Amino acid sequence: MISNDFLISSNALILITGSNGFIGSRVVQALLDYGFSNLRCFVRPSSNLKTLNRIISDNSKKVRLIKGNLLCREDCEKAAKGVSLVFHLAAGIEKTFAGCFMDSVVTTRNLLDALLDNGLLKRFVNVSSLTVYSNTNTSTNRVLDETGEVERQPAARHEPYAYGKIKQDELLLEYNKKFGIPYVIVRPGDVYGPGKMKISGKVGIDTFGIFLHLGGPNPIPLTYIDNCAEAIALCGLRKGINGQVFNTIDDELPTSRGFLKMYKSHVRPFKSLYVPYPLFYCFCFLWEKYSGWSKGQLPPIFNRKRCVAHWKHTGYSNQKIKKMVGWHPRVPIDQALTRYFEYMRRTGDQQ
Amino acid sequence: MIRVAIVGCGRQADQHAIEIQSIPGCQIVGFCDKEELMAKQIAERFDVKHYFVDINELLYVTSPQVVHVTTPPQSHLALGTLCLEAGANVLFEKPFTLNSSEAEQILQLAGEKNLKITVGHNVQFCHAAMKMRELIKKGYLGGPPIHLESIWCYNFADPGYTKALLGDSDHWVRSLPGKMLHNIVSHGISKIAEFLTGTSPHVIAYGYTSNFLKRIEEYDILDELRAIITDQNDTTAYFTFSTQINPAIHQLRIYGQKNSLVVDDLHQTVIRVPQNYKSYLNHFIPPLLEAKQFLSNSATNIGKFLRNDFYFEQGRRTLIELFYHSVLQQAPVPIPYGEILLTSKIMDSIFEQLRLQE
Repeated sequence: MISNDFLISSNALILITGSNGFIGSRVVQALLDYGFSNLRCFVRPSSNLKTLNRIISDNSKKVRLIKGNLLCREDCEKAAKGVSLVFHLAAGIEKTFAGCFMDSVVTTRNLLDALLDNGLLKRFVNVSSLTVYSNTNTSTNRVLDETGEVERQPAARHEPYAYGKIKQDELLLEYNKKFGIPYVIVRPGDVYGPGKMKISGKVGIDTFGIFLHLGGPNPIPLTYIDNCAEAIALCGLRKGINGQVFNTIDDELPTSRGFLKMYKSHVRPFKSLYVPYPLFYCFCFLWEKYSGWSKGQLPPIFNRKRCVAHWKHTGYSNQKIKKMVGWHPRVPIDQALTRYFEYMRRTGDQQ
Repeated sequence: MIRVAIVGCGRQADQHAIEIQSIPGCQIVGFCDKEELMAKQIAERFDVKHYFVDINELLYVTSPQVVHVTTPPQSHLALGTLCLEAGANVLFEKPFTLNSSEAEQILQLAGEKNLKITVGHNVQFCHAAMKMRELIKKGYLGGPPIHLESIWCYNFADPGYTKALLGDSDHWVRSLPGKMLHNIVSHGISKIAEFLTGTSPHVIAYGYTSNFLKRIEEYDILDELRAIITDQNDTTAYFTFSTQINPAIHQLRIYGQKNSLVVDDLHQTVIRVPQNYKSYLNHFIPPLLEAKQFLSNSATNIGKFLRNDFYFEQGRRTLIELFYHSVLQQAPVPIPYGEILLTSKIMDSIFEQLRLQE
């Protein structure tokens, strides 16, 4: 499966951070499937390695686990030594800004610093997120692609994860400018599949005890785990795409309403309340104003920026990654949804 | 205008910064963290011009009147000493120090420099705690408490803390003398220390690792604690810490000669335990009286919410306000030093006994 169009040879050393995670473990699988035989998987000492061990059990000579913490510079140096390609999937998913920033940005800085003296590095693949786009100052029904505006005031959205990811991307661009670190940024949509227990937040939220269906007629930017992992792998491997950003979204996206209907019929029925976008926008506006007026008696977790970013009617394009990287979602949406619903029914959903 | 600096820009710093910026007449003049990126990110989010990686530079450039130290307790003595030597009053995030010896050193230096110290036992300043103190001051208990029961639960279902600690074998909490307990129990212990006298409490402690942690092979962490504490006047107290009790409870029960009280931090209720009645009336009237009190507490809480006086970190804001008031007006500190030291001593004794058990 190794192609002449690939950046590195099959025995070049590849580092994968966050390799035991939902996406990371599948990226390892995808790289093995492509025939790469020198993978270094970086995991934390206390990580649950069940999924990763299952994937690498038949490939023990091709994969080496390295345990450490990306907050530790010495661990980063060990991880970065001699690598030609880095897939950086480790990220902060905490509820606090400081926690997300530390686990996304400080860790990335440590890793990039460790790579500065590495003469072999061909590419640093930074796995970001579609959530970094602001979706503001645009008309409804527009198509979001890689030219979309990244949130300019990330803290104001009150989403620590998005904040961490935006700052992580900024840091990478800074290192590219200053030190010439070759990079590709991948921004997956809502990754789903067996192993993921929650319904996408773009469909709705269950904060208030009842599931509020907020997506309505919006397409949901889903990307099935295997498709997403292959997209990330190809973004690391394909020649001639350094400095590019790629959004990863599957084809034939279901609407939020359609997804919810299928979910209820295939997994379990539950009560949901549809809230139209203009109404929820007003709610977010009032919440935001009340939060400011009451000096934070309710934190501004619902605000207009968040509302626009997640629930404004938006279409999604995956043309760039298809054209430049040659990626196509191998698992069609029907099959992907069937697998996901089957998994949720079997394991019991946690909504 | 009171000039405030924050040292340590991790998870706790945001809460301090939010509260400081909400208090009129306060200005955050600088942030400091040994990791520059952490100091920079919080300075940007809170629109503060100066950030530093060197505390000496922070103290020199910004000349703060108050420094909030929100680093792990391993660094409190060193950082607190630098702040006090530079003429700043200091608010430490809990736990105050690693042990009572360090606590004594800080308090002594503060006394010598004529500066003030406090610790982030913010739960002591939530509405319910303030109401409790008011009632006791009026003599509701009929004298000093006979006995206290403080129960403090922590639910491992909260992924924020749990994942950070359990997911990191090098987490700083693991190197504290009392490990995880050290970082959490001071809130519950300080509630007891408030009512004890003397400087040498007698403590009997028993701790163990819950089955939950054993199942995930975390044998190194004790997460269940029971303690009996007695002071020189024979006031007694039970302290319970649990990660396994559901729903989680943060309660203080105070038993007096005349009356008793139940203070619930999570529900923000203060309930006066009803007197006993004769015969079957004892089964009918006290429950009604308690129901009336719960309703009244609920109405009070709703009223406070409508008046914007019921935010999540209200206790922290009140503590900070009282501390700044004590700095500016030379008023008494919100938490007496004796209480801080006694809390520290009780914790020393508990952790020493747990260490011997191991």
